[in-house]
Order: sequence, then C-alpha cells, then structure tokens
Amino acid sequence: MTEQSPRAALSRRALMGAGAGLASAAALGWPRGPALAAPTTLRAAISGYNVINTLDPAVAALIPEYYVIWSLYNGLLKLDAQMRPVPDLAESVTVAGDGQIEFKLRQGVKFHDGSVLTSDDVKFTLERLLDEATKSPNRSKVSAISQIDLPDAQTVRLRTSAPFAPLLTFLSNARTGTQILPRKAFMADPAGFGRKPIGTGAYRLRSWEPNQALKLSAFADYFGGAPRIPEVEIPLIAEETSGVTALLGKQVDITSTAPFADIPALEKRTDIKVMKQPGLNTRFLSLNNRKPPFDDVHFRRAVSLAINRDVLVRVVLFGEGVATPGLIPPSLTAAYDPAPKPLSTFNAARAKEELAKSKYGPGTKGTILTWGSGWWKRTAEVVLAQVNQVLGTQLNVEVTEANTVFARIRAGDYQAGTWGWLGMIDPDEYSYDLLHSEGWRNFAGYSNPKLDALLVQARQELDPAKRGTLYRQSEALWIDDMPVIPLFCSNIHNLLAGNASGFTQLPYSNFGDQFASMSLG
Amino acid sequence: MGSTTLRRGLRRAGILLLTLVTGALLVFLAMKAAPGDPALSALGENARPELVAAFRRDHGLDLPLWQQFWAWISGALTGDFGRSLTLAGGVPVGSLIANRLPVTAFIGLYALLLAAAISLVAGTIAALQRGKAADTALTSLAVLGVSMPDFWLGYVLVFFLALNFPIFPSYGFVSPVDSFTGALLSGFLPALAIAAPMAAVFARVLRAALLDVMHRPYVQVARSIGHSGKFVFVHTILRNALIPYVTIIGLQVRYLLGGVVVIERVFGIPGLGSLMVDGAFGRDYPVIQACALTFLVIVLMTNLAVDLLCTRLDPKARA
Amino acid sequence: MRRMLRLLAGARTLSLGLLITLVVLFGILVGPWITPFSATEMDFINVLTPPDGTHWLGTDSFGRDVLSRVLSGGQISFLISAVGVLSGAAIGTTLGMHAAWRGGNQEALLMAFCDLLFAFPSFVLALFMMVVLGFGMHNVMIAIALAYLPIFARLARNLTRTMMHEPFVQAARLMGQRPARILVFEILPNIFSTLLVQASVGIAFGIVMEAGLSFLGLGVQPPTPSLGVILADGREYFQRAPWVLTLTGVVVSVALLGLNLLGDGLRDLTDPRLRKAAGP
Repeated sequence: MTEQSPRAALSRRALMGAGAGLASAAALGWPRGPALAAPTTLRAAISGYNVINTLDPAVAALIPEYYVIWSLYNGLLKLDAQMRPVPDLAESVTVAGDGQIEFKLRQGVKFHDGSVLTSDDVKFTLERLLDEATKSPNRSKVSAISQIDLPDAQTVRLRTSAPFAPLLTFLSNARTGTQILPRKAFMADPAGFGRKPIGTGAYRLRSWEPNQALKLSAFADYFGGAPRIPEVEIPLIAEETSGVTALLGKQVDITSTAPFADIPALEKRTDIKVMKQPGLNTRFLSLNNRKPPFDDVHFRRAVSLAINRDVLVRVVLFGEGVATPGLIPPSLTAAYDPAPKPLSTFNAARAKEELAKSKYGPGTKGTILTWGSGWWKRTAEVVLAQVNQVLGTQLNVEVTEANTVFARIRAGDYQAGTWGWLGMIDPDEYSYDLLHSEGWRNFAGYSNPKLDALLVQARQELDPAKRGTLYRQSEALWIDDMPVIPLFCSNIHNLLAGNASGFTQLPYSNFGDQFASMSLG
Repeated sequence: MGSTTLRRGLRRAGILLLTLVTGALLVFLAMKAAPGDPALSALGENARPELVAAFRRDHGLDLPLWQQFWAWISGALTGDFGRSLTLAGGVPVGSLIANRLPVTAFIGLYALLLAAAISLVAGTIAALQRGKAADTALTSLAVLGVSMPDFWLGYVLVFFLALNFPIFPSYGFVSPVDSFTGALLSGFLPALAIAAPMAAVFARVLRAALLDVMHRPYVQVARSIGHSGKFVFVHTILRNALIPYVTIIGLQVRYLLGGVVVIERVFGIPGLGSLMVDGAFGRDYPVIQACALTFLVIVLMTNLAVDLLCTRLDPKARA
Repeated sequence: MRRMLRLLAGARTLSLGLLITLVVLFGILVGPWITPFSATEMDFINVLTPPDGTHWLGTDSFGRDVLSRVLSGGQISFLISAVGVLSGAAIGTTLGMHAAWRGGNQEALLMAFCDLLFAFPSFVLALFMMVVLGFGMHNVMIAIALAYLPIFARLARNLTRTMMHEPFVQAARLMGQRPARILVFEILPNIFSTLLVQASVGIAFGIVMEAGLSFLGLGVQPPTPSLGVILADGREYFQRAPWVLTLTGVVVSVALLGLNLLGDGLRDLTDPRLRKAAGP
C-alpha cells in the first residue's frame, strides 16, 4: 500500500492543474472514502448485486442476502475449513442409534436484543421453516424432521420420519435458512423482522439503505468474543467491474466476487490479494419445458449438443472454471461423475440429427433471458452464437436484471434463461431441489417418477459412498430428457486489499461469516 | 405595478401547476401502457390468481384509471409515491427519493459550479484574446469537450486520476453530511465528467455574448466617459453578457440531469439517476414514475428560477 | 470586415468538420464491407489480442475485430440517431410550422405540449420510454425522436413566425396560394438551413444518447453491435484489455467532433443571430 505523504503531494499538484479551486480541499485532509476515516471500519463490498429483499433467513432466496445473514446469525452448526459440520450454537451433537439427534446448546448465548438463547428458539425456528405458510425456499432441507422435543432449555432432540443424510449439513450456517431466530423478538413484529433482523451473530444490523449499503456494528455480547473490527460497511455494487475499480482505488477492503476476465491481471498485482478455488456452484441454461420450443425433448437435446462448453469456459470464464456434464459440481467428489456424457458434449452432427427429429426446425425463434453486463450476459451471447450457427435457429437474447430474470423464471414467464445456483453444499440441493417434481427450484416443470424415487433414496442413504453412487445414477437418468442444459462450474473469488487478512474462503462462497475473524492492519 | 407583478406571478404559477399535472398524467398513462403486469413482477413465483387479485386490490389497480391517477397524484403531493415493487420490496418510494435527491442535487450543483467556473475563465479569456492562439486553443478544446461521451470521459478520468494516479476515490460517494471534504473529493470526477461538455457550451455562449456586447454603443460611451477598462468590463460588459449566459445555464440543467443519470451509475453514486436506472431494470413502476416526475419538477423549478434571475439581471425588464 | 473574418473562420471549421464527417461516413458506410473481419462472428482462438497490424484496434473477448465492430457499430448508432433525429425533426417541424401558421389556441396548446416534453431531461425521457416500450434498437430511435420533437417544433415555429411577415410570403398569401403550399415551398426552403444545422448537432447528441442507453444495457441488445454496446463490452474487461474501451471512445469522440464542427461551421455561415434559437 502506498504511503500517504507522496500521494497527498501529488494530489495537490494535480488538483491545481485541474484548475478547479479544490486545492484547499486537498490540503484539509485525506478521507479514504465512505465512512472510512479510520480502519475501524471494514468495507466489505457485495459486488455484482444490489438488491437485498430480506434478512430473514427463512425466506431469503438470493446469495447477497445470505452474505449478510451469515454475519448476523448462527446455525446450530457451522462448516469448518474442510466443509465438515462442527458445533456452533450447539455445544455437542449426539446421534443415537434410533436416528434421534440431540443438540446441547451453548450456555448464555445472547441475541442482539439481549435475550438469552433457549431451546425454544430453536424449536420456533425449525417449526417456522416447516410451516407451509412461511413459504421458505429451504423447507425441504428440514422437511424430514417429524418431531422436536425440548427436555430442557439447553437441549433439543430431533426425530426424522425417515433417515435424512444431509440434515446436519443443512443445520449449519450456510445457504440453508436454518439460522436460529429469537421467538419473542420475531413474534413482536413478524412482518418487519426481515428488515430489522435479530440474531446471535458477531455483528448486528445498524442501518440499511435499500440498493446502496448496509452498516453493521460489532455485537459486544457475541458468544465468541467481540470481533476485532467494530464496524462493517457493506456497499452494494451492481457491477462486478465496479467492485474491482473500488478495491483498486482503495474504496473497499474486500469484495464478494471478482470478474473472471480480470483475474490474471489482478493476480500479478502486489498491492491486493486474489483468493480463489473451485466453487460449489452450477451454471446452466434453464428451460421452460412447458412452452415452445423447449417443450420438445429433441429440441432441448439439439441445443445442448450444439454448445461447446470448453469454449464457454475459455471465453466466458477466461479459464476460471470447468465444463460440467451434469449439475453436480466436481467439488462434491463423492457424487460428481467426471465421465463425459454424450448429450452434454459438443457434437454438431448429432445436434442436427436431434433437430431433424424435433417438431421445431432451423429458423426456430426463441429468447434467452439474461442480465447485467458481465459474464452471465456473455454466457448467453456465446451459447446463442454457437446454437444459431450449428442449428440455424434464430435465438436471441433479452438482457434485463437478475431479480427480474429470477421472478420471470419462477413465474414461468420465459422460454430459456441463463441461471445457476451458488453456495449449495450438498448434492441433494443440486438434484432433488432442481429436478424432483416437488423440488422448489424445479422451475422447468420437470417430472420423472423414476428420478423422483432415486433422489428420495439418495436422501435416505447414510453411507456416503453408496449415496454418491445414487447421485451418479440420477445424473445419467435425467440427462436423456435434458430438462435443463448444464454448462459449467466456476471458480469463486474474493479480492482483498493489501492490508486485509483473516478471511478463510470456503467453496460455497462464504462471506459475512468471516467478518469477525478479519483484521485490517 | 404591484398588481401587475402579482397577476403575472399568479399566471406563471397557474401554468406551472397545469404543466406539472399534465406531465404527471402523461407519465402515468405511459406507464399504464408499459408491458408487463406489476402484480406479476412483484409476486413472482407466488403469483397465484387469488394473490394477484389481492395485490391489485391492495394497490388500487382494480379501480378506474382516473381514480388511480387521482390517488397517485394526491399521494405524490404529500410525498407518498406508493411502495417499491421489486427494487426494495415494500419500502416507500417517497423515502427512496428523499434519500437520493440530496445526492443528485449535490452532484448536479457541483457539476454546474465546475462548468460555470471553467467556462467563466475560458470564455472570458477567449473573448479578450479573440483570434489569438489562446482563443483558437480554447475554442477547439470546447468543441472537443462536447464531443466526448460523458460516461466514457468518466471512465478515462477514473483510470488516470483514481487508479493510475490515486488522487481521487475511484468509486462511491461520501455524503456531505459525513464529510464535506470527502464529498467534494469523491464527487469531483463525476462532476467533472458531467461538467466538461457543459463547460464547453457555456464558454462558447459567453465568448459570443461578450464579443457581442463589447461593440455595443453603450460600452463605447462608458469608456469615453473615463471609466477604467476593468470597471467597464465588470460592470457593463460582463453584466450584460450574463443574461444569455444564465439563460443557457438554465437550459442546460436538462442536459445536466441526463448526464447525472449515466454518471451516477458509472461511479456508483446513490442518487436519483441510479435509482431510475435500477428501477428500469427491475421494472419497478412506482419508482420509475416517481423519478420521472421528480426530474420534471426539478426542471420546471429551474426554469422558473432562471426566468426570475434574468428579470433581475436585465435592467430593461426591471424598469 | 468582421463578417468576412467570421465567414473565413466558419469556412475553416466547416471544411474540417466536413472532412472528418466524410471520412467517418465513408468508414461506417463502406468500411464494414471492406474490412477482412466480420463484426459479429466469434473467433475463439484470437481472444483479446492487443492492437497490431492485423487487428488495428485489437480483438474483443469473443475474438471479434474491434475495428470492424466499431465501423458496424458506428453505422448502426448513426442510423439509429439519424432516423431518430430526422423523424423527430420532421414531425416537430410540421407541428411547429402548423402552430405558427394557425396561431391562437392551437398554437398555444401545441407549444405547451412541446414545452412539457421539453421539460423532461432528454436522457430521462429516453430512459422512461425504454421502460414503456421495452429495450431494443427501434425503441431507441423512438426515444430519440421524442426527445428531439419539441426542440424542432419550437425552432420551426419561431423561424416560421419571423418569416411570415416577409414580403414574399405576404405576396404569396395575397396571390391566394394554399397555406400548405406557402409553408412547404416559400417558408421551408428559407428556414431549412437552420434546421439542418440543428439536425447535424442533434445527430451527434443522438449518438451519445444511444451510446449511453446501450452502455447501461437499456438500449440496443447484443449481438447487434452499436457503439454503446461495444463500449459496455470494453468496460467489462477494462483491466485486461483497456484498448477496447479507450480506443473505441476515442473513435467515437473524433466522429462526434466532426459532426459538431460541421454544425458550428454551418451555423457561422448562416445568420449568427440564430445561434441562440438553435441552442447547443
């Protein structure tokens, strides 16, 4: 990092050169940017998104919402650096032979409003998730729970109707929605809770300006000890490239993402740190199986066969990722099937054969929804160029905003769209949620009874190796119908200012959970 | 005479109000004709028929158009623009506008002052040095100034003056309430990017006006009765040349606000412009309506202010 | 003497502007057919190559030749702006001349409407129209036309009013010519040059407007190249390949410089009193 004095001297000269009468302003002092006078504030930019609708974990749906939620709440468990669930609010976890799980809660944990965490709050949180009326996107993560017993204020016992392999993972503080809420505070203002969240986390929400920024302050009574940095400011920066500009200009200390194109150039710099690793995510082309032209399996296959995924990885991700034959990312080693699948491998001749079998021919029109100005839009552009070239179709792109794309995909108001999921930690989320006929992310309207049965079986299989095999079988099963077109899995990145440290990056794109361990110095 | 002024004032106010209401009506009707159903975009996945019906009832979308318009316009008068649909679900649009208007006003005024300062110097020099090298250089620079797209200039400025030579912040905006110096610094590059083309236009107008006035008979008279050159320039020439200058500044406020929209987005400044762009992407109709109306009000108010200022500057109009 | 000087200066500005504009027009009209590269075809081998002898402005992230894209994009942006401004001019001029001729309430009403449109900042109006009409090339044209309509209506009305009292117009009136005939054959030719000046400056600003809208992603949609789309692309990998954004912007600035000089030169040659009416 540059020292202050030479910069100040330079600035004064340049200011006078600009002839703007601002020289006196430069002489007065040198603020670092938004509320950053002293490094008592961590400026943690969420880049690539600027919409946060709610900070209520039960109903949150977007990754930027979780980025913040992770700093405000805790789960019963959390994931360690090896992605294993370890105790957090729960001090110990005991799994009995009959499948009953007992959690002993940590003593004297306080919520931001000063109330003390009891087992009743855990029960409340889980019951609320289970309640259909809550409309939680994460309901299926806990739907196996059939009974919640509270022998005392520090003990929670869960029973499941059937064995449910990922339950402990889903009770961690990740993109799970199972973060623990205080019953009393929530019931006092159920509608307003999402805007005035109260958790047990290291930071609490101080202010929130929609689409602009959130401010957090350290929670002095945090059970893990008050965090080192007293204030966190979270600017919401819509463009990823602007996030880089802000970081290079020392306006922020860390970003939640980085544009793939910039990674090689940024890695060469010595004044900042680039953290990266293969991510837990899946990127695909979401298809509306209920609307032409993607209601025809041959057309869907033809499009998939016309896409060269390696090219996508090279020119869209600039090499920061891998082409994937299915939806389960490579980092979930037990469940990932590295064998290439013919239907999701580029093959122009076969693509044309499938098109010939389809009721839609060359010249078919269709619109791919995408958003922003970054790599999502570029993905759509390259896919469209490839498909139109191979099949002679007339697909085009409609560029809008991520939230709009999501709303339209959910409402079925689309033909195709670039979409993906990031930060999901169990194969169940990449298959049951996306492709089971009752999966909440199954916006394609796909239904395959054989697959449904297989995915339920996989959920209940407690042996990791056997479970992995079931998921591999499932991927081979649905790919024939091509309800969605898998594209690739990308690396995850965080950019850190030279003086920022203490951030442990996890493959599910963690963010807010690391604020407490970070320092600036 | 007092009653004439009063009557004129009342007439002006009447026209202003009428323009405003008609403008609001245009905005309202155009928005109604826009594609897409606000209920669908707000409800997304939960757009079941009974919920859509309930949404339409809650937001008064089932009422006749004129009633909807009346509800909107009467609410707007009290600062109630309804609630945001997609951008900041449920937050009153009025509070969004109120948060962002001061930021836009700050950047806008900053740009205007920069443009005025630059053009006052450049225009005067060009006029005094007419035909000489300085004039040619400044005039050419002015044409170049209007030729560069402002948002591109913004990027170039960030590249050189924030990243290569880290003099100014590269992104974001410090509220003047938190730190006035910080606001001046963080607002400088965006304000300059907006100001550059405007300064060019102002300078050209000022130069032309100065040259025009310099050769007027009353200036010759002022000189001949022994006033010093400086006195004549400041009190006679500049004063008379200021009328077209102020008029053009007033006219350019429209342009300025347009520039603000793009530049705010480039620099991540949380003003009215970036709100409107976000609203456009999210099809957040109440937000877009409110932004358009706010911009209209700003322009109408500026026009009024310029008229009043010109009346004050023009001795003939005051007499 | 001063008039001569001004004419000379005007001629110099005019010829420089004309030269640049002609070169640019040649480039965007003929260029796309003579460059060896396509503006839209992707070449995934040569991605983001810096400017060299083959690709004068380098290639973009899809391996497309930036120069070819700028030329095609220039063509599209120019077309959008020209169609937008000229239709705005045609409708605005018709309305303005009609208003001036009819006078009375019709004039007051038409002008009030134009003043109202004019009270929206052009870019805000364009942005608003993009939401109402939807994104896309044709709607950008409509938005530009709508932004220019009141400017031309006001200008044409003012000019027509000054012309109406000219002897030759009065004479035509006395001879019983139809109003439409007088407006089109007597008045229009006399105010045409001023309208043309305004149009040339207008086209320059229309290009900036298109670029701004498309830069934000609200205008022309890919894969159609327009200057705004290319600039937006360039911003995306600015750290890695700064030449795309920088050089494209330079080319755009030079092109606009030509149009603005042309407008200035024409303005100096026509009546200088009209400067104010024409505005920037």
